[in-house]
Amino acid sequence: MHIPDGILPAQVCAAGYAIATPVAWYSLRKINRQPDPTVGIPKAALLTATFFVASSIHIPVPPVSVHLVLNGLLGAILGYYAFPAILIGLFFQAVIIGHGGLTTLGVDAAMMGIPAILAYQVFRLRHPLAKRFNRRFADGMAGFLAGMVGLGLAAVIFMTLIITTLPPGLDAATEKSAIYGLSLAHVPLAVLEGAFTAMLVLFFQRVKPELLEDHWQKKPSKASDLTTEQAERV
Amino acid sequence: MVFNLVTLDRKRFTFIRWLKPEMILILAIIFVLVTAQRSLAHGAVIEYRTTQALEVQAVYDTGEPLANAQVTVYSPENLSDPWLTGTTDPQGRFLFTPDPSISGNWDVQIRQAGHGDIVSIPIGEGNEAIATTSDASDSDSGNALFSSSSNGSTATLNPLQKWIMAGSVVWGLFGTAMFFAARSKQNAHS
Repeated sequence: MHIPDGILPAQVCAAGYAIATPVAWYSLRKINRQPDPTVGIPKAALLTATFFVASSIHIPVPPVSVHLVLNGLLGAILGYYAFPAILIGLFFQAVIIGHGGLTTLGVDAAMMGIPAILAYQVFRLRHPLAKRFNRRFADGMAGFLAGMVGLGLAAVIFMTLIITTLPPGLDAATEKSAIYGLSLAHVPLAVLEGAFTAMLVLFFQRVKPELLEDHWQKKPSKASDLTTEQAERV
Repeated sequence: MVFNLVTLDRKRFTFIRWLKPEMILILAIIFVLVTAQRSLAHGAVIEYRTTQALEVQAVYDTGEPLANAQVTVYSPENLSDPWLTGTTDPQGRFLFTPDPSISGNWDVQIRQAGHGDIVSIPIGEGNEAIATTSDASDSDSGNALFSSSSNGSTATLNPLQKWIMAGSVVWGLFGTAMFFAARSKQNAHS
């Protein structure tokens, strides 16, 4: 899933940074606009550690093997914290484990981080869902969808990126079939990550429901008032 | 007398009985040789000479080889057009003989489904240079080529070092979590 150095042309790497930077800035601004931006940090730090380790957990899907990504899970539970969390996790993965690379950090962050934010939006469907079904089912279902959408979208972006940037010296047919094979192997992984996200969400729901609370949309008018008040105080 | 008889007998045999078959045999041998040569003219000529080759091996960090992955070799003179292309064997290995007259860094890229790496192998003038670089690539293939950066001769981290570093990162992240959790608790109390 991680694109290493030397696979993508330089323009694409630059474009990756050009996309990831404003998204990171937007996420940090969203975090900073919260009443207390540090509230989410313990959760985000723990899930960054999980994300960092997850890519070393390989799951064989014959004939290939895939690894956990958990970007959908991070999106569902962290909201906008997910993007900086993924960015930090990817940086450490590139430097220490050798997954991905520093030139492709922007591309990888955009590829996994933007689907994570979308997964968060999907996870928020649990509120309308809860009106029709019971709370537990709605949370589980939304968690499942969020985990699946996060990974599925990242896999689609990965496939598109690699296929559209095939270098001319390569046997395109062989490489394409290998890419399709790998992408197909991500279908069971998406289901697995969806199930894992649903399980974790249901666990939090039972043990510590405040972990799942949205701090972002709670009081839209008052939040801005609070930030101006804070700014005045500072 | 006996001796005479034998020689007589022989003479009779050679000149009368064995003359024709012998000639037929000789003719047959000549025919076979001629036709064989004719058919040989249709075949290939194989010569051999010893030469220095480079073996590169690509494995995923799980230890699984990159089997049937595409290999692109770029000579130092032309970094945009491949000098040689091929595929790895089921063990992820690829063997090729670089042109020793072109000295400099030969780039070998091995990729499969968007994964892979480039290794840069310095080839100098003379056989010794080739020998040392092939050693370097050998020691490289023992490790995960995946994690080896652009320079083939740099030592890569062993798994223990890697896991200790990864563990430190996880520990640091846990520490960050604990720090902010404790702080928010303090804030709640005060």
